Amino acid sequence: MIQLLRIELYKIFKRPRTYISFGIMTAITFVIQLAMLTDGKTFIGFAMQGINEQFDIQGNILNGYLVTYIILQSLLVQIPLLVALVAGDSLTGEANLGTLRLLLTKPITRPKLVLIKFFSSFIYTVLLIIWLAIVALFFSLLLFGKGDMINLKSETFIMIMQNDVMWRYAAAFGYAVLAMTTIASLALLLSAFADNSIGPIISTMGIVVVLTILSNLQIPLFNHIKPYLFTTHTIGWKGFFDEPVPYAAIARSAMVLILYTLGFLVTTIFYFNRKDIKS
Amino acid sequence: MKKHLWLLFLCLYSLPVFAGDANELFYALRTKVLSVKDYTADVKMKIDVTYMRIPELKGTLYFKSPDKLRLERHGGLSVFPKKNINLTLVNLIPAGQVMVLDMGYATRAGKKERILKVVPEDDQSNIVLSKIWVDEENMLALRTETTTRNDGTVIMDLEFGNYIPYALPDKVTILMDVKDYKLPKGMAMDYISENEVESKAKASKGTKGSIQITYLKYAVNTGLSDNIFKLKGRNEEEN
Amino acid sequence: METIIETRNLSKSFKGIKAVDGISFAIGHGDVCGFLGQNGAGKSTIMRMLLGLIYPDSGSIFINGTEFGNHRRYLLKNVGAIIERPDMYGYLSGWDNLKIFAALSDMKIPAARLHEVLEIVGLKGREKDKVKGYSQGMKQRLGIAIAMVHKPDLLILDEPTNGLDPQGIAEMRALLISLSKDHGKTILISSHLLVEIEQIATSMLIIHKGRKVVEGPVNKLLHPDDSLVEVIIRADSSAVGRLSLSQWQKYLHSTEDTVLTFKMNPGNAPALNKWLVGENIDVLEIRSKHSLEEYFLSLTNDTIIKDRAI
Repeated sequence: MIQLLRIELYKIFKRPRTYISFGIMTAITFVIQLAMLTDGKTFIGFAMQGINEQFDIQGNILNGYLVTYIILQSLLVQIPLLVALVAGDSLTGEANLGTLRLLLTKPITRPKLVLIKFFSSFIYTVLLIIWLAIVALFFSLLLFGKGDMINLKSETFIMIMQNDVMWRYAAAFGYAVLAMTTIASLALLLSAFADNSIGPIISTMGIVVVLTILSNLQIPLFNHIKPYLFTTHTIGWKGFFDEPVPYAAIARSAMVLILYTLGFLVTTIFYFNRKDIKS
Repeated sequence: MKKHLWLLFLCLYSLPVFAGDANELFYALRTKVLSVKDYTADVKMKIDVTYMRIPELKGTLYFKSPDKLRLERHGGLSVFPKKNINLTLVNLIPAGQVMVLDMGYATRAGKKERILKVVPEDDQSNIVLSKIWVDEENMLALRTETTTRNDGTVIMDLEFGNYIPYALPDKVTILMDVKDYKLPKGMAMDYISENEVESKAKASKGTKGSIQITYLKYAVNTGLSDNIFKLKGRNEEEN
Repeated sequence: METIIETRNLSKSFKGIKAVDGISFAIGHGDVCGFLGQNGAGKSTIMRMLLGLIYPDSGSIFINGTEFGNHRRYLLKNVGAIIERPDMYGYLSGWDNLKIFAALSDMKIPAARLHEVLEIVGLKGREKDKVKGYSQGMKQRLGIAIAMVHKPDLLILDEPTNGLDPQGIAEMRALLISLSKDHGKTILISSHLLVEIEQIATSMLIIHKGRKVVEGPVNKLLHPDDSLVEVIIRADSSAVGRLSLSQWQKYLHSTEDTVLTFKMNPGNAPALNKWLVGENIDVLEIRSKHSLEEYFLSLTNDTIIKDRAI
């Protein structure tokens, strides 16, 4: 299994396309950092309007920690796409290349192949998030400095001491890996159903976008289904920036994501195991 | 406005007053308070507002008479109520010519205190009326209740210990009115947890906020430079 | 002879259309079995079923006497295959591709063996180049290298000469003959180049519209006496009349203008030529037509669809 995983990772990281994701993420991060450098104060001023009416908050508000948070929030839409680019292509990509039939004429079981694809997508996701942590957190701290972090929720203003932030980011990035792994497993599932690469990537994004909208719509009709949508829980990383940290809610959200991931994975294995390979 | 003030005065005059004494007492108190030209103090600050979750802030508070104030948090953020609700007694005791009304004595927590009502004669002043609970023996204001023109009513409770000669408190609790706060949903993209439900319930209960400042150590009248008050955070520096 | 592949009543439908319809056949150890059928006859489907890529609706497959279904992984260790095109990871080198697929064969394969197969297929010196820069022939050869690197007893090759130039085809033929003769491999090979199959196959399996038409050893199916010999003569109105009175009449298969076709052993052609010359019939050309092609076309003619297994 380890050997096969190594081969899979070798294939992924030998492919130029893989690095496009890292490049895109770096570019988006830098664009946001640049925007914050030039226009961050207006943005903060706008966001802080409600608070500034009554309180005077002085100091380096727009610091690296806050900018990282803004980047993470903005990348919510993009990261699933980057994850889907690899995970959604993992089975259909082989089918497109014509290598899937060659792979499956080798003494390797299909469930094993799916698991290898899943774990390699997982490792890719981990590396993507680590990279995000480096470019977003490291460069934001470098450009904007340190400071206490403010977190503006719709009805709450939270301030976190700067020496209390890093562990939250570690936890948040860890949670982001879990959330993105759920997306990866969805993309993998769609990849098992499809015969071309674009289909699963677009479908994954479509599902994520539609469900995210449903998760955020303030319509009572959807309130009953919201807790069951994985997109409601993919933003659970934000919980680590709440005070007090809602551990129970985060644990529940994490559990939902784990169940979805396992559900997608088992369905993929089941379906792919019975699929006729005609590509 | 003036018309209303006269009405108010009329009401106040109908109460039992000991104007001479009270005036003396107020001015003596104000002189004592104003004798502190500046101070630097290590403080701990606790902000308790329903929609704010701020941990205890530790820092150094710089004050320079009459109204310069700055909390230095060594790279951290400082949070103050808006400038006109100031955190120091000086700003809650009306300046200039005032009308002092003696409201007699009251006992609070087993302690006999004299109550003064002070109305500034300058009708441009943000302070409309200040009610002061005075410890006559030590010449200290133990509580002020200040009605402001724009910022509602601010109540300040003061506890003294080590710095009685300067009328500098060891602990101050400020109670004030706070308005609701709301950020557009789309901007926040909240992760909904039970905290949210809790805070919503709390928010609907009331709109009073409190700030508690504990002063650990003062350095009084060291001749603080104005520059200290110009050193601000990175954002302000750039402005 | 001991069989290496055996199928029993293999059937498969796609969206209600029968692609393979109750096919049973057997291939013996050491055979080079030419697998023939028109496009869409079901060859690829059968080959994919033999490799576990497509699941049969009914019927069973045995490899070395073991039923395939539950022992897929074990049985595939002993099989090498090219299905349709030998597609690979174009962004990797030939060496990387070979190494990856060798590693997937569930056995330890030393680097020396990789070099050896590259030598056999004639890719030595080009193995570090990216596969996307390979010609079709090089890809086919790399495909063969991948199929044989783990020394399987059975090679299943679907159109391995596709896209090869005449020299490539000749090289591939030589390679396959060597793999069979020198290394004792059993090869199931499909190709639309019947001439090639004719030259290397020891047995044949012909299917048509999902059903088996014929299977058996080449020497039995293609008897030399069944060969067609075409004689082109100068126009002579009495030639056919004289022929029908001669001893060659029994071999005469058809006549069309100046083309006379005989069904006989090509070894009789010189004697026929002598007789024609003796009869003053001008012979312009005598040629033996490819027997397999004729045979195949005659079998896959829509009117003759019946099981003619030998």
